[in-house]
Amino acid sequence: MSAVATAIERHGKTAIVRVRGDVVIPTSRALHSTLKGLQKRRDVKNVILDFTDAGRLDSAGIAVVEIARRSLQRSGKQLELDKLDERHRAAFELAPAATAERLPPEEGPSWLESIGGHLLAIRMTMHELVGLITESARQTIAVAAGRRKLPAGSVANHVLLMGANAVFIVGLLCFLIGMTMAFQGVVQLERFGAGVFVADMIGWSMVREFAPLITAIILTGRTGAAIAAELGTMRVNLEIDALTAMGINPVRFLVVPRLTALTFALPALTLMGMFIGIVAGNLVTSLMIDMSPITFWAHVKERVTLGDFAYGLGKSFVFAAIIGFSGSHLGMRADGDASSVGRATTKTVVVSVFFIIVVDAIFATVSSITGAH
Amino acid sequence: MEKPLLQCVDVSVGFERPVLEHVNFEIGHGEIVALLGGSGCGKTTLLRTLGGLVPPISGDVFLFGESIYELSSEQRDQMRKRLGIAFQQDALFSSMTIEENVALPLIELTQLPPDLVREMVRMRLTLVGIEGLARRQPANVSGGQRKRAALARASILDPEIIFCDEPTAGLDPVVAAEIDATLVRFRNVLGSTIIVVSHELESIRATADRAIMLAHGRVAATGTIDELMRSHDRTVYEFFHARTG
Repeated sequence: MSAVATAIERHGKTAIVRVRGDVVIPTSRALHSTLKGLQKRRDVKNVILDFTDAGRLDSAGIAVVEIARRSLQRSGKQLELDKLDERHRAAFELAPAATAERLPPEEGPSWLESIGGHLLAIRMTMHELVGLITESARQTIAVAAGRRKLPAGSVANHVLLMGANAVFIVGLLCFLIGMTMAFQGVVQLERFGAGVFVADMIGWSMVREFAPLITAIILTGRTGAAIAAELGTMRVNLEIDALTAMGINPVRFLVVPRLTALTFALPALTLMGMFIGIVAGNLVTSLMIDMSPITFWAHVKERVTLGDFAYGLGKSFVFAAIIGFSGSHLGMRADGDASSVGRATTKTVVVSVFFIIVVDAIFATVSSITGAH
Repeated sequence: MEKPLLQCVDVSVGFERPVLEHVNFEIGHGEIVALLGGSGCGKTTLLRTLGGLVPPISGDVFLFGESIYELSSEQRDQMRKRLGIAFQQDALFSSMTIEENVALPLIELTQLPPDLVREMVRMRLTLVGIEGLARRQPANVSGGQRKRAALARASILDPEIIFCDEPTAGLDPVVAAEIDATLVRFRNVLGSTIIVVSHELESIRATADRAIMLAHGRVAATGTIDELMRSHDRTVYEFFHARTG
C-alpha cells in the first residue's frame, strides 16, 4: 500500500487533482481534506480528479469521492472523474447510491405522538400488571383448591435460593444496623440520663421499621433482580412462548412458585433480622453502659408488643408482593434482545425500592393517624 | 506460484471430545469456498478456528502466510482488521442502531473523520439493501435484515477474507438470493476471499467456486460443486441427493 499524494493544477476556474497511490482506509484522509479545501474556494468551479497514477480504491476512497461529488454539487460546482481504469470502475460499484434511488430516512415521532406513545405505554403496563396480579391470584387459588399443581419441588427450591442463601447477608446487615443504632442512641440518650431507654428504641425501631425495610431492600437487589433476569432471559429465548404453546400457564409455572417462595422467605428473614438487630443492641449496651441483658430484654418486652411484630411482618408480606410482582412483570415484558434483560433487571430494583419506601411511608402515616403504635 | 491466502494444516479441534481431526486444505485469493456437511459435523467450529477464535489442539492455521495462533495478541488484532466475520446469530449489539453497529469497526479501528464514516456506512447499507433501516435497533428489524446488517458490519473494513456462518439460513428464497448476490459482489468488487458455511444447496450453487465437505470431523471431499455432485462417495452423494433420491 502506497500513501496517497495529490497534486493540484489550475486551469482558470478548473482544478485538476492528480491522485497518486492507493486511496484506502488508512490513506484516504489526505484526499478528503484536499477536496474539502477545493469545495470552499470561490475561484474553483470545476474539479477534475485524475486517476492516471492512482492505485487501489476501497470503500473509503469511493466514499471520499461521493462526499466530494455531493458537496461540490451543493455549492454549484462540478466533479469530473478522469482516466479511471477497470479496477477503479469496478470499485465504484461499491457506491450504488450514485445511480440508485435514495430511500428517505425514517422520521421519528412528533412530540405530541411521543407523549401519546408514553401514555399508551403506561396504560398498557398497568393493564399487564393488573392482568399478572389477577392471573397469579386465580392460579394460586386453583393450586390451593387442588385443581392445579405447581412444578414439583419448585417452591422449596426457590425458598432455598431466596431465603436460606440470604440468611448470612441479612443477618450481618441487621446486626450492623442494630449495633450502629445502639452506639448512636447510647451517646445521645446518655446526655439526658436516659441511656436505659436505648433498649426501647432499638426494639421498637428494629421490629417496626429497620428489619422489614433492610431485608426488603436486600431481597430486592438479590431476589427481585434475579427473578427479572431469569424470566427476561426465558422471554428472550422464547421459553415462555414455548410454555404457552404447550398449553402450560406460564404464570402458574413460573410466577406463582416464585411469589409463594418470596412470601415465606421475606417475612422469615425479617423476623430473623428483628432478633439479630436487637441482640446487637444488647451487646453494645452491655459493653457501653453496663446494662444487663435482663434489664435490656425487660425494656424490650415492655415496649414491643405482638402488635408491633404483626405490623413489621405485615409490611414484609406487602414488600414481598412488590418485589415478586415487579420482578415477574418486568422480566416477562423483556422484548426480545439481551439488553432488554438488563433494563428489566435494573428497572426491577429501582421500581421495587421506590414502592417499598412509598408503602413504608403510607404504613407509618396510617399507623400514626389511627394511633396504632 | 502464488502463496495461498489461507492454509489449514493438520488441524484438530476438540473440547470434551474431538470435533475436528486432521483437517487440511488451502484457499486462494478471491475464491468463494463453501464449507459443507451435515449438522454437527464441525463446520462452525472450523470457521471459528480459521477466524482465530477457537485455537486448535494440534495443527495450525496460516492466514496471509502467518500462523494466526503464533502471533502476539496485538499482532493478531492487526490481522483481524483484514478479516470480517458474520456470525450465524448475527451478533449485532442490541443497544446500538443498525448504523452504529456497522460503523463500530470504523470508529474503533480507523482514524477516519465522522463524515467519511457516515458515508461509508450509508454506502454499505445501500449495498446490502437496508439503507432505510439505519436508525432502527436490531430488535426492530426482521431476521433477514439483521443478517444483511451483520454482513455490512463484517465487510465495512473491506477485509481480504470474509467468513460467513449460514448467511442465508432460515431466509426466504428472494432474500437468500439477494444475500448470495451481495457475497459475489464483495468478491468481485472488493476482491475479498469468502468462506461460507452453509446447508443451502441453492446458495452454494449460486456463489461458491469450490466446496470443502466435512463429515465426522474430517474432510470428506473437496472440489467444485459439479465435481462433488457427481461424486460416488456415499457421504457426499447422500448430502447432495438426499431430496432427489
